[in-house]
Amino acid sequence: MQTRKDTDTTLNQEKAGSPKYWQSLEQWRQDPEFIKMAEKEFVSSPLSSDEGKDGWARREFLKLMGASLALTSFGCIRRPAQKIVPYAKRPEEIVPGIANYYSSSFVDGDEVFGLIVKTREGRPIKVDGNPDFPLNKGAVSARAVSHILSLYDPDRLTTPKKNLLNKERTNRDTVSVTYEDLDKAVVEALNAGKVGVLSKPVTGPSGRALLNEFKNKFKTTNYYFNDHTQGVEEKAQQEAYGSAVTPRYEIDKADFILSLGADFLGAHQSSTAYTKQFSSRRSPGEDMNKLTVVESLLSLTGSNADERYTVAPGEELNFVMALIYSLSQSGQARINSQVKDIATQFKAFYGQHKEAVDSVVSDLVKAKGKSLVLTGGLNTQHEQALQLHLAVQYLNNVLGNDGKTVKYRNTRTGSWGEVDSLSQLAKDIESGKIETLIVNDVNVVYQLSSDHPLQSAIRGLKNVVYVGDRIDETGQVAHYVIPVDHPLETWNDHEPFDGLYMIQQPTIRPLYDSRSFEQSMIQWMTLDGATPRYAGDESLWFEYVQNYWKSNITRGSFDKAWTEVLQNGYYDSSASARDNNLPSRNFNESALRGIKPVSSKESLVLYKTIGLRDGNLANVAWLQEFPDPVTKICWDNYLVVSPKYAESQKLKQGQMVEIKVAGKQVTVPVHVQPGVHEKAVGLAVGYGRSAAGKVADGVGVNAFKLAKFDGKEMIAAGLDYELKATKQSVPLASVQDHHSMEGRQIVVEATLDQFMKKPSSGIHKHKVFSMWSKHKYPGHKWAMTIDLSKCTGCSACMISCQSENNIPVVGKKYILQGREMHWIRVDRYYTGEPENPGVVYQPIACMHCDNAPCETVCPVIATSHTDEGLNQMTYNRCVGTRYCANNCPYKVRRFNWFDYTEIRKPTEMALNPEVTVRARGVMEKCTFCYHKIRGAKEQAKQDGRTLVDGDVKTACQEACPADAIVFGDMNDPDSKISKSLGNDRTYGLIEEVNAQPNLKFLSKIRNTKKLKNDHAGNSGGHH
Amino acid sequence: MLKKVIGAVVALVLLVGLPSFIYALTNNKLSIGYNKGYMPEQPIPYSHELHAGQLKIDCKYCHTATEVSRHASVPSLNICMNCHLNVNVREEARPQIEKLQQAYMNNEPIKWEKVHLLPDHVKFNHAAHVRADKQCQECHGPIEKMPIVYQHSDLSMGWCVNCHRKPENNAPVGCDTCHY
Repeated sequence: MQTRKDTDTTLNQEKAGSPKYWQSLEQWRQDPEFIKMAEKEFVSSPLSSDEGKDGWARREFLKLMGASLALTSFGCIRRPAQKIVPYAKRPEEIVPGIANYYSSSFVDGDEVFGLIVKTREGRPIKVDGNPDFPLNKGAVSARAVSHILSLYDPDRLTTPKKNLLNKERTNRDTVSVTYEDLDKAVVEALNAGKVGVLSKPVTGPSGRALLNEFKNKFKTTNYYFNDHTQGVEEKAQQEAYGSAVTPRYEIDKADFILSLGADFLGAHQSSTAYTKQFSSRRSPGEDMNKLTVVESLLSLTGSNADERYTVAPGEELNFVMALIYSLSQSGQARINSQVKDIATQFKAFYGQHKEAVDSVVSDLVKAKGKSLVLTGGLNTQHEQALQLHLAVQYLNNVLGNDGKTVKYRNTRTGSWGEVDSLSQLAKDIESGKIETLIVNDVNVVYQLSSDHPLQSAIRGLKNVVYVGDRIDETGQVAHYVIPVDHPLETWNDHEPFDGLYMIQQPTIRPLYDSRSFEQSMIQWMTLDGATPRYAGDESLWFEYVQNYWKSNITRGSFDKAWTEVLQNGYYDSSASARDNNLPSRNFNESALRGIKPVSSKESLVLYKTIGLRDGNLANVAWLQEFPDPVTKICWDNYLVVSPKYAESQKLKQGQMVEIKVAGKQVTVPVHVQPGVHEKAVGLAVGYGRSAAGKVADGVGVNAFKLAKFDGKEMIAAGLDYELKATKQSVPLASVQDHHSMEGRQIVVEATLDQFMKKPSSGIHKHKVFSMWSKHKYPGHKWAMTIDLSKCTGCSACMISCQSENNIPVVGKKYILQGREMHWIRVDRYYTGEPENPGVVYQPIACMHCDNAPCETVCPVIATSHTDEGLNQMTYNRCVGTRYCANNCPYKVRRFNWFDYTEIRKPTEMALNPEVTVRARGVMEKCTFCYHKIRGAKEQAKQDGRTLVDGDVKTACQEACPADAIVFGDMNDPDSKISKSLGNDRTYGLIEEVNAQPNLKFLSKIRNTKKLKNDHAGNSGGHH
Repeated sequence: MLKKVIGAVVALVLLVGLPSFIYALTNNKLSIGYNKGYMPEQPIPYSHELHAGQLKIDCKYCHTATEVSRHASVPSLNICMNCHLNVNVREEARPQIEKLQQAYMNNEPIKWEKVHLLPDHVKFNHAAHVRADKQCQECHGPIEKMPIVYQHSDLSMGWCVNCHRKPENNAPVGCDTCHY
């Protein structure tokens, strides 16, 4: 029988050597421990001895169960008395049970999102992307979705506070103050002069105008801080072209993209919009783009590369210069003699990496004017960061990309901070120029290294006023802390690109006694007798925004224009200007003088993760339990080392090591990561918060501490370090090794050439016979496809699903036991050798099989089949035998081991009332967003029409920035899903067991000559 | 001694209590967890008999969301005030109306006692049933004759399914109809 033979082959293949697709190094080595674990169905059992330590010994559990059973049996003759509290005066737009949607926006570091916020009975419950907004076009990141949970963060500050600081500037006590007293004290300090304002980037035109007025009124000096890489790119532009702009990169217009350490699909600026653009060119065919990445660590972008090369930290510069050298030698681009001389220094590097450099050069030359070279990010913030940016921009220039894929007009506007703004502030404090500092939501004490002069300078100030949502690390050294409104609670506007305005609309009244920074400024100015120019009668920030828009932005009838803006969420006056090609600028070659080869050395690289980034949302539990797409580890940061380095230093996974950089030291566990250059070790920032709240405090270590202050800026990469191994080790909470696919071939890969010859390359169709009579699906039949060629693994779907479906967070301890609850997970497979493997991501949710193996084993029929093809969970029937999870070939079922529903107030406000909150002892899994299907049907009936394609969008599909997920009714032959299911690349998982899954995948096509797993030159696939 | 007493009590409960309990359950003498007939006292003794019965005010005048939402919605005070700012009421009802007006002026919602309670894990949609031309009375009973509202039906699953199963209703009966 065919099926039998398949299995045999797979097994034999595994026995013969390392598997072709692997998930961890343990599996690659066929570690006996791994095999033991993979063979077990469940990572943990309720009988495990560890349980007792938590007070949940099984016997105790049964006792409690018995008691509550008795209570329910005899106690419920009297009903629970409940109240119904209708509004006294119901707002016209609120109908109980009907959701309202508002357009708003979210600024995350240097990423700007247009949002649609869903509210129920006046409380926001879900954040989705605004499909019309030109930047993210409906896509959101995991962080943008988590925005909702940061609103309901129980650790937010509720009232203004005064810290009673002692001489050492550590906090003795915190007392509440009234706004009246606080404002009096602040205005007094403002009038005394010598005031500095340190602010996060002010991205909106109204905010900028107000800050300017404030500056003129009180003669303040303003400083801006965004992150440690701020201003480098602008400075490079300044030196090369004479104007300091942050260029707009048009990824969708590039046929070939070369990234030098820029994690533009992950933690880089605008990565969600970039993912959208990138994936729009990932459909295999003539139009498919190609991505080559040169980096030292394995980033999300690197893992999506068609071709990838590793270099030692800092050697990205060598690589670019070697490209320029090669171009100058072959004469394929016009390179003047001055640059030629500089590039000649890199002849040796070229010699060592000839094959890689030549291959990239040929791609670059092929796509002249349609290619794009990118760099930037914390992991490239080494001492030569400026030179790297210059060299990259030079390369873009000589390849004819300037003005085409690199746009220098209608770019980012506003005050985003300059290279040395913080060291300037420190100097000004030391020289006595600044005595009072108002900090607007910048956690500098956490984000700066301990040797940065501002650390001591800020503690020596006479007055520090901190505007933030909690008494965080910086709040602790401040005299006054003003609770700031959450962005979903206050008005604001933003201007991500010159001429593109967006509005931030509040969706809930402030939960606490908080006040936005802008409102504070207006308050202080009016208290001092001044009238801000755009302030209205009531001196409200909202009036200011409105009046500013009225005078400066909108045209014609304001009321009409304003309503339109609120509906659309933005006002775009530069769309066509942004789209036009621009003439190439003249590059000032003398800026490249001074570029010298970077020596290849072992060094430490700090990097940002896609989940936590700089750590400002660290107290959001969803993001802590968000497995990093590449390492699949959550709830920790760790030292990322290459397998080779681990071997030479005798380091084991999870072993604690002491890392010392210039006298500063942290102790972290080791994570052995394939694909990392042997001379690089990496550590993620964003962890190690000490004053963020109950979730984040004490998770990981603060890697910012290790950065080096070079007199102007913080250096985060290429750091010299000393490593000392300790004997301790800790388990790292990885979600990777559970959900093992037991060596079966799950992901299908092929090269573009193979695809062009045969679109179904790599897919092996199984002959199966069925003992089942087929279900009938008279109406709709729901199905989903996920295009692996488009999916970048960013995992926004996971958090969107978590938010939509009330999925609990279980914590590190239970992640270690394999009890994570995510309904959709993103599996990551490596292919090829551990030195530089290929990576494939595969999101897995419930497949809603036609012949669902879970349905047949449920003893109480809690999981059943609907006539629309859904595999449905009836929670109140479930008695928790977990047979279904045992029998699921895809391991998508999740069990509520405990009552995860006890949530700290006010987080329960984030729950979606349309989805049942599951209790202890109940199995759950992806429902294909059944409540959304029902909602859409209800709406269609209400409108007196039938359901049309696109009415139902699942939460994962809505969030996906790559547009990889298609969902719909496969009984409708014209629907997108029917077309997608008919694609030659479509295949099902483990089809040989005849479960007939309704979630199918489209094979991954790589735009490369040869696949990493192509040992024998076969076309991938099963045999 | 104490142990013996406890033992005897337990034995008695098991021998006498349990069989009678099961008898009561299986013979519809006892409906556990359901609240048929529940008639709590309301903070303001609003009479459906008066408003819906005598005055013949349409149900949907107050329960505005019935046709569009899952919830029928208990009226907010501004709906009461549509009439009660103007109409005269009987002498004995005046203090109650004053209470209502006070609450409205102070923007303080009235906390009504919830009468109809579905079992847990069930989703019910008013709009869908109204759209299927179901009369309010089919589930809520003779509401226009109730001076104090009580729960007319037991709202148990059997009660729901009995109606859904009737061929003329053409209603879905899959688990997913109510449980999701």
